[in-house]
Amino acid sequence: MNALEARGIHKRYGGLAALADVDLTVKNGQFVAVIGPNGAGKSTLLNVLTGLAMPDEGQVLLAGQAITRMATNKRIRAGLGRTFQHGRVFARLSVLENVMTGAAIRGRLSESDLRDFSMEIIEQMGLADVAHEAIMSLSYGRRRMVELSRALACRPHVLLLDEPAAGLNSGEVDQLIDRLAELRAMHGLAVVLIEHNMGMVMRLAERIFVLNFGCKIAEGTPAEIQADPAVLSAYLGEGYAHAVV
Amino acid sequence: MADFVQLIINGLAIGSVYALAAIGFVIVYSATGVVNFAAGQFVMFGTFAGVATLVNAQLPWPFAYGAALLIMALFGALFFVSVYLPLRRGSIVTIIIGTVAVSITMQNAALLSFGSWPFRLPSPVEDSAVSLGGAIISLHALAVVAVTAVMVAGLWLLFNRTSVGVGMRAVAQDVQAARLMGLKVNRLLAFSWILAAVLAGVAGLMLGPMWFADVNMGDPIALKAFAATIIGGFGSLPGAIVGGLFVGLSEVLGASYVSSAYKDLISFGIMIAFLLVRPQGVFGEKIQDRG
Amino acid sequence: MAMRIPLQIATAIIVLGGISGMVLPEYHLRLLNLSLISAVAVIGLNFAFGYAGLISLGHAAFVGMGGYGLAILTTTCGWSPWLAAPVAIAATAISAGLIGYPLLRLRGHYLALATLGLNVSFYIVTSNWIAMTGGTNGIARIPGLALGSFSFSGEHQFLWLALMVLALIAAAAAALHKSRLGREMIAVRDDEIASEMTGIDTTRIKIEAFVLSAICAAVAGCLFALHMRFVAPEDFTYAHSITYLAMLIVGGEGTIVGAVLGAVLLTFLPEWLRFLGTAYLFFFGLLVLGILVFLPTGLVGLGQRLSRRSAKTPLLASARAPEATS
Repeated sequence: MNALEARGIHKRYGGLAALADVDLTVKNGQFVAVIGPNGAGKSTLLNVLTGLAMPDEGQVLLAGQAITRMATNKRIRAGLGRTFQHGRVFARLSVLENVMTGAAIRGRLSESDLRDFSMEIIEQMGLADVAHEAIMSLSYGRRRMVELSRALACRPHVLLLDEPAAGLNSGEVDQLIDRLAELRAMHGLAVVLIEHNMGMVMRLAERIFVLNFGCKIAEGTPAEIQADPAVLSAYLGEGYAHAVV
Repeated sequence: MADFVQLIINGLAIGSVYALAAIGFVIVYSATGVVNFAAGQFVMFGTFAGVATLVNAQLPWPFAYGAALLIMALFGALFFVSVYLPLRRGSIVTIIIGTVAVSITMQNAALLSFGSWPFRLPSPVEDSAVSLGGAIISLHALAVVAVTAVMVAGLWLLFNRTSVGVGMRAVAQDVQAARLMGLKVNRLLAFSWILAAVLAGVAGLMLGPMWFADVNMGDPIALKAFAATIIGGFGSLPGAIVGGLFVGLSEVLGASYVSSAYKDLISFGIMIAFLLVRPQGVFGEKIQDRG
Repeated sequence: MAMRIPLQIATAIIVLGGISGMVLPEYHLRLLNLSLISAVAVIGLNFAFGYAGLISLGHAAFVGMGGYGLAILTTTCGWSPWLAAPVAIAATAISAGLIGYPLLRLRGHYLALATLGLNVSFYIVTSNWIAMTGGTNGIARIPGLALGSFSFSGEHQFLWLALMVLALIAAAAAALHKSRLGREMIAVRDDEIASEMTGIDTTRIKIEAFVLSAICAAVAGCLFALHMRFVAPEDFTYAHSITYLAMLIVGGEGTIVGAVLGAVLLTFLPEWLRFLGTAYLFFFGLLVLGILVFLPTGLVGLGQRLSRRSAKTPLLASARAPEATS
């Protein structure tokens, strides 16, 4: 079955078509990447999938259920998860408390269960040493890992990651790639990754969707995408050389 | 019918005062983002500036009005320097509490200088009335409406035909961009405060003869100006005018046809209804990220 | 372990309040009682604003609903205050929920002005609905609270009641701060969209915060009615709402200690400025403005800054996290 599916999504802002007839299918446990130049509509697509923006036309299905008009928090409860392009954490809560807000989604767990469960994730994500620190004392890269931990604490079936590597140093990017690979192996979690770092995309993604000017211009395996002349001319022209190096 | 005409004119007159107070509030809000809770005290200061120059100093009225408005302009500049500049980086709540604190100080400054006994501020067209289809209309009420119309026309020219006004609109749109365009942003911000104070001064001078000059008159005016702003549309000048006139009319008509005790409930009820159903007001742009 | 901080706060309130009660003269005792009542209301406001970020300028209306509720039930209906108080509080909580449901979609100054309009409307209604509220004359002859033969009607006796209630409310608030609901309220203010994305129903949390704040307000209103034995529209104007907010900001928003400190300070400040004679309100405004400009994080923030400066040992200094900006 498909973990997440978007059918014929249209979204316009004023006269500008941000998304025009976009389809996206993510199978259970599949790792999908959405790439495209800036302004191609990638973040708009995530906003439509998570309910921050309502599509003008089209349908969103989560595990076969239509969620097109569902409130964001309900989608999260139904198994969707997301991180943001610039990392959004709760500034007045500690690292552990940030993750606990995510863990609390699972009904009535006791405080100590919430704490234990959250600590497990924090340890998995390599944040155990700062679990009780104020979040704003962490580096930007580690804050983004907290955000990811918080999203994981909601136990999503499908996780949407909006440029998780942006602003991270190369060591942190390598760590992030390892963690994401581990996660996929561990939970059978489906992931939709938006990323400009082509090295990361090519290493992780099983299937790639390419957006340009709000339209899907290609879809396929990493090998197919690399060979697709339409993609090359639209997007990889600048990024491709960099990615191969 | 004659009564009705009289009520309409009176409603428009008091509404004009609310409109001017609301315009001052909106000019400051659009340019600086400050929700000025001292806006009502600005009008009260305007009335008492008139008391000082016209009643106490016994100046002939053109000079008295000029002097009163000059005092208000200076006060606007003082407010810019001593309240706006220190508070401008604060959160919405800090600014609300800060302007309320200043409002307490202003009210008590007036109390210390003028005492709690209300003054009678005369009008240059004192005691004159015209008959209009059987209705006796006070000339002052007509003059208030006329002066407000002239002020509004002047503001329109200012914002559309002068570089200062266009600069102020640019600052209201985007301070960073305005700065990059080489506009002297601070000077324009200061000018918005001065303009707001002068408009409040005009409102105060016109209001004095309709109400008594009382140091406690600021709060009710502020509340009416807020209601006018919300109803017309936050940040919109035409909205402030329409909202002000609406609040004035609903107050006067409500008092005589519905209930004088509950007359104010009408404007606040409508204000809350607008917030719930159409928070952008009559003229405001759609709010999404605002607030 | 989880109850340590709430117990500490409650103990501190009772001990400090008890000692003040023994040394203060009768007139100051009255102010102390009023400040404790305000503290209960301000702790409530801290849920709505300090945690969940809802700018309410209508808090005094909920204090008034509690106060009037108790006054009407004890005088017109002749109920015992012990029964009237919980009913008045419950009725206020329900009203807050009903009002909050449509109103809390608004944000920032829109919410501020809507709640202000609410408070003004409350004033208009209470001063004109004479059959129910006695109009501007208010409601007098509210019975005092008694437990057996012990009456809480003198300033000393009332102080113990006020201290117990405040200690209880403060401890509950401190416990809530570290609970799931507390975290969720804070999350909603820190980042509403990220909260939704963490599965938090932000609308529900805001309403819960608003209702909690109204419950504390109603408790304060009941205390006020039992203390003054009289309620009138003048006691619950929007100026009072602004004072509550000022107390919270001056004390330090987002903290319980700050809420209590701010309430005590702003209640006593006019008294301390009494030497200025009739000019005291003039300086009161300037002083509050000065605190906002120079101590933006309030007294609690000042305290933290001072203690950080005195913590010279490198170990302590590095263990402390930089201040969260909010």
